[in-house]
Amino acid sequence: MQNLLYFLYRFRTFGLFLLLEGICAWLIIGYNNQPNAAFLNSSNRLVAGINTLTSNTGDYFQLKTINDQLIRENLLLREQLANVSLGLVEIDSSVRKYNLFKAKVINNTFQRSMNYLTLDVGSKDQVLPGMGVIGGEGVVGQVKSVSGNFATVTSLLHRNLMISSSVKRTRTLCTVQWDGNSPLEASLKYIPRHIPINIGDTIVTSGFNAVFPKNIPIGTISEYQLEDNDVFYEAKISLAVDFSSLEYVYLVQNVMKAEQDSLETETQMVQ
Amino acid sequence: MIRVNIQQQVLHFIVFLVIQIPFLYKLILFNSAFGFFYIGFILFLPYALNRSLTMVIAFLTGLIIDAFSNTPGIHASACILVAFVKDGWFNLMMGTSDDDVYLDWNELKVWGSIKYLLPLIFIHHIIIFTVENGGFNSFGFLFSKILYSALYSFIIVFGLSFLMAPKARRI
Repeated sequence: MQNLLYFLYRFRTFGLFLLLEGICAWLIIGYNNQPNAAFLNSSNRLVAGINTLTSNTGDYFQLKTINDQLIRENLLLREQLANVSLGLVEIDSSVRKYNLFKAKVINNTFQRSMNYLTLDVGSKDQVLPGMGVIGGEGVVGQVKSVSGNFATVTSLLHRNLMISSSVKRTRTLCTVQWDGNSPLEASLKYIPRHIPINIGDTIVTSGFNAVFPKNIPIGTISEYQLEDNDVFYEAKISLAVDFSSLEYVYLVQNVMKAEQDSLETETQMVQ
Repeated sequence: MIRVNIQQQVLHFIVFLVIQIPFLYKLILFNSAFGFFYIGFILFLPYALNRSLTMVIAFLTGLIIDAFSNTPGIHASACILVAFVKDGWFNLMMGTSDDDVYLDWNELKVWGSIKYLLPLIFIHHIIIFTVENGGFNSFGFLFSKILYSALYSFIIVFGLSFLMAPKARRI
């Protein structure tokens, strides 16, 4: 017994080292598996407060970029509106399924292999983990965790985020996932070989899950290849959103998410 | 006898850690060189300070950085490892095991900085980028990130420590 105590005493530093590293491992693994880990990340009130401060300081230098973005987005919306008033686009207004909230990006990275954004809206503004985030030009990410006034968003530039998407022209279902290299590109997966695709085809969200509405742009195909023994194409898309200058985004609230999800789980359980 | 200059440590804390926070992901060069110079705070903790205490300080430092970068545990684990080996590495490189060492730029000079700081910064960066990357996939890009970031962080830490070093008295 005494020897044991002596042994423990001698290796107490190494023991503490292992203990602390163990805590770290637990944090690393826990964070990736927890759906809403508001502890110790950028949606934390203190951390987000400091980020807001630095973001506000930087804003004055980016007014021109923000203006340009808003003008471009306005133009896009005007065009769509014109099409609607000409009767080219049908609008089904019987059911209101999605609500949009605006949010300001107070922190954003795009050079890492796992990128996150911090937004200045939180649970007080009815933001929930799992909501979709879109920008003026297309898909941005999905909310990871929420505190009172802030939200952390898993960016599309995050290796673990997969987005159910489709080729707009052929309506083929596929998946977009970032490969961790360039912030301008992502990989496009699971397009079967019998579907003809072209460079420049637009990839949009499929609308098959309750996160994003249908037909939100993600990007356009920039290159693809098909080896003789491949089942699926290997393709890259150039992303629609410029992640290096993201200032304002919109959060998508699906009013019927709970209903859709519970019906889908129920069906799976019956099978 | 360990000499702990509290004023100097507080200065290190402010210059290395507090200034790092707003610039955590703002000082990126060529999309691959990240400047994580907060590690300087841990590297310049007093020599022969109780090792457990050093590790706890490193753990808390890492957690602060983690909170700002959304990587709970990654920076902390790398910091703990650096804190664990730092004194041993210093003895090995500088060939002293004398407790009366006052760790700052005047002690290290240029060659000492390269021998003592650079390898530890390199280890720290290997852990951060590999864990964040989830393994060694896309190895070339990962390695270039580690290499450039380590050199970049080293240059910043070296520069800051040089600026903060008390001027040696001329005789």
